Amino acid sequence: MNTFPSQPVLQGALDALPLFIPALPFAFVFGVVVAEAGIPELLGWSSSPIIFGGAIQVTLFTLIGEGASVAAAVSAALIVGARHMLYSVTLAPRFQNQPTWFRWVGAYVLIDQVFVLSQIKPIDEPVAFRRYFLAAGFTFWALWMIFTALGVALGPVIPTEWGVEFAAPVLFVSLMMAASNRRDKLCSAAVAMGLTYFFAALPSRAGILVAVIFSVCLMLLFTRKQSI
Amino acid sequence: MITLAIVLTGFGSYAMRAFFIFALAHYTFPQILLRALEYVAPTVMAALVISMLTSPKGELEAGLPELIGLTCAATAAKTTGNHILALISGMGTFWLIGAII
Repeated sequence: MNTFPSQPVLQGALDALPLFIPALPFAFVFGVVVAEAGIPELLGWSSSPIIFGGAIQVTLFTLIGEGASVAAAVSAALIVGARHMLYSVTLAPRFQNQPTWFRWVGAYVLIDQVFVLSQIKPIDEPVAFRRYFLAAGFTFWALWMIFTALGVALGPVIPTEWGVEFAAPVLFVSLMMAASNRRDKLCSAAVAMGLTYFFAALPSRAGILVAVIFSVCLMLLFTRKQSI
Repeated sequence: MITLAIVLTGFGSYAMRAFFIFALAHYTFPQILLRALEYVAPTVMAALVISMLTSPKGELEAGLPELIGLTCAATAAKTTGNHILALISGMGTFWLIGAII
């Protein structure tokens, strides 16, 4: 690799920035959820560095606010986050030629957006991959710390009638297209959309995991038949 | 109690992210598994989009502005490969159609 050592760092940080736009209104939603659950502000915010996962944090505090038991709230929040196990499997081959410290630290910032960036921009060179991954991850991390703190302190500052929340599915559609750089991958995305809708009523958004596993298996079967 | 819930969830969600990275650190992946893993990114993104558009009870919560907005974003992403452009075109058409209807 004849690239400058700082290049993957800068690229990772720059790639993470637009992905944070939809997380911005979400950080304020988080602030409202903490306030409505009657949780002290600092304690609520501490979940940002301890858990670092927007949907998981919101699920946990929504259920606590509704008076659920600790066991029920924690298990529902973890089911919401179960897709991270898929990210862990998918990235395992890429982490094999990495030092142990990076396995510990990299797993901490392994969120939806960082995962998909690592898949869209496959960097083969281990050092460049590591720098890119950490730069993207910790850019997102720093912004999430700042904006969840603002969300908890300020409450709802973005009017809901603007529909800014819609930026999240819009961005993920865009990421889905970037990840579907082959026809069979695009086909797998379409299958997963249908199956997720089919399983959408499963509790704690478990349908996401079920639909992904089903559609990956279907794709394996289908592409295998084609190649014979 | 809330502290306990936060710490338990934090531990659990970290464990889920780290588990396979460590468990499979010296594993030789068979070809079929590597092929399967190629489909994880597109299918997870697709599943997240649909789950954002459905209520917890499984009902679709997207009307015409949403569907047209998403189509525009997908087209922009496919043709330009630029996420900011996709975001602008998706949100732009969503707001525009929403204002007209």
